Amino acid sequence: MKSWIGFRSLVWREIVRFLSVFSQTIFPPVVSSFLYIFIFGFSLGGHIEQVQGVSYLSFLIPGLIMMYAIDGSYANTSGSLFISRWANNIEELLVTPLSYVEMVFAMLIGGLTRCLVTTAGVYLVSLIFVRFPVAHPFEVLYFLVFVSLTFSSIGLIVALFAEEFEHLSIITTFVITPLVFFGGVFHSISMVPDALKWLTSFNPMFYMVNGLRHGMLGISDVPVFPCMGLVFLMCFAVFLTTVYLFRIGFKLRK
Amino acid sequence: MLPAISVNHLTKFYRRFKALEDVSLAVEPGEFFGFLGPNGAGKTTTINVVTGLANYQSGEVRVFGHDVTREYRLTRAAIGLVPQEFNFDPFLSVEQILVFEAGYFGIPSREAKMRAGELLEFFSLASKRTEGYKKLSGGMKRRLLIARALMHRPKILILDEPTAGVDLELRYLLWDFLKKLNREGTTILLTTHYIEEAERLCGRIGVIHQGKIVAVDSTAALIRKMGGDRMEFYLKNDVTKVFAGVSSVPFTVESSGRKISFKAGEGAIPAVLKILQGHGVEVEQIDVRRPTLEDAFLKLIGKKGDGGA
Ligand SMILES: Nc1ncnc2c1ncn2[C@@H]1O[C@H](COP(=O)(O)OP(=O)(O)O)[C@@H](O)[C@H]1O
Ligand SMILES: [Mg+2]
Repeated sequence: MKSWIGFRSLVWREIVRFLSVFSQTIFPPVVSSFLYIFIFGFSLGGHIEQVQGVSYLSFLIPGLIMMYAIDGSYANTSGSLFISRWANNIEELLVTPLSYVEMVFAMLIGGLTRCLVTTAGVYLVSLIFVRFPVAHPFEVLYFLVFVSLTFSSIGLIVALFAEEFEHLSIITTFVITPLVFFGGVFHSISMVPDALKWLTSFNPMFYMVNGLRHGMLGISDVPVFPCMGLVFLMCFAVFLTTVYLFRIGFKLRK
Repeated sequence: MLPAISVNHLTKFYRRFKALEDVSLAVEPGEFFGFLGPNGAGKTTTINVVTGLANYQSGEVRVFGHDVTREYRLTRAAIGLVPQEFNFDPFLSVEQILVFEAGYFGIPSREAKMRAGELLEFFSLASKRTEGYKKLSGGMKRRLLIARALMHRPKILILDEPTAGVDLELRYLLWDFLKKLNREGTTILLTTHYIEEAERLCGRIGVIHQGKIVAVDSTAALIRKMGGDRMEFYLKNDVTKVFAGVSSVPFTVESSGRKISFKAGEGAIPAVLKILQGHGVEVEQIDVRRPTLEDAFLKLIGKKGDGGA
């Protein structure tokens, strides 16, 4: 199919882009996850007994992986699209016969690919410190894919609204990182006061972190099926929003 | 036959600013159409609407009969755009820029690489194929823009001021190339600052001024409308007084009375010569100014051209 080639080309372009700057895209998460695991899990974690029946070190790994999945996906699409708008090469794309759904979906696949490469790297690093059998591989894949597509879409939306490059990192610093941390990367909800427990139940990241933790370790603060449902719905909603913005040419067409 | 491009009653605002007002024009298949207008007239805006780079508020724009909004995939596939400003992908090499663009248009990569090789060779860019576009000179970037637009062998090629800031050699090369492309069947829409360029290349011309179309006609007809040749007599003496009472020929006296110019035809030349002879004025030199497209253009946009009547 003709348009299949177009779609594939754009996916490949997105991959070429993040690989061409791999020292900014792939290395940092792998290096910093090594530090996190070493300091928190390996050194500090020795003083924490067990969380939900697993060692703190093991408890930490799925949280970190989810954190980098979210971060990498968001960073990839937001950076890619914002630079394209800024350098105007988005016009290269807008004059082609690719449909808006194809454009968006190809960029999301780019984000997903970066997410999978990065999280594989983080996982490999974790194997240096701790090894455990993966409890539910399908769930692991499910959460990685849908969470990645969700945050890849959010990255595209933010890249459309952003007027300056800094706006992209403002969202990371003030929205994504706090929500991920409070979502239970480093702690179980059972460790926090009731008020925070209640607040956490409104934090979508909480369900993502716990979903992946259930997939990898078989433990979670909440049942896994609602987590799966929520992640799917979020993904669907932000995807449609993104396609809609492309269709009306929001900040894309003059 | 359906027009290659048809624009009907197109109106476009940038926020509150009306950039295009009721613009209508049609480019026929196989045509070499020139789109002229002073800076800021709305040429790029019109092109952006046709290619899908700009939204518009009312009107209808079709490419080979397909609506550019509702059937954007079909219309975009038919067009190759050489934009006014460079807009290359900063993450790709020169060759990749071509191959990926072709890919977006559905050309398989093996075929795209072959075409890229040919075009890079033709536009003398082969030695830069692995460089980023930032390492290219201005003229090279221009050539790369054109090569990129040709990768999917579009039925319609739209060039937005392709020769701006381009040296003479490249300009001539480009003219020959575009003529050949057009002869081989590609419909071409060209905007340019160099009126001479349009006069040489374009069979028909549309002129836009302040967002409105002020003329669409064949190049020859536009020039014909300027009237016939204009005579310029350079004289030995001041003839201001000599012609003071003459009304049979519309004329202008310049250069402190030592030059008289008037439209040829209708017995004007013998009449003027007779007057000059009658007063014993010697003619030093005679020039004939044939009206050019530039004269027609300047008149249409409300500025007085040299050769204009
Ligand atoms: N993105 C834009 N936002 C606001 N005004 C614009 C924009 N692009 C062009 N204009 C205005 O629209 C008018 C037409 O511009 P343009 O189509 O670029 O003219 P041309 O290509 O004929 O020189 C100009 O007055 C210009 O200032
Ligand atoms: Mg312009």
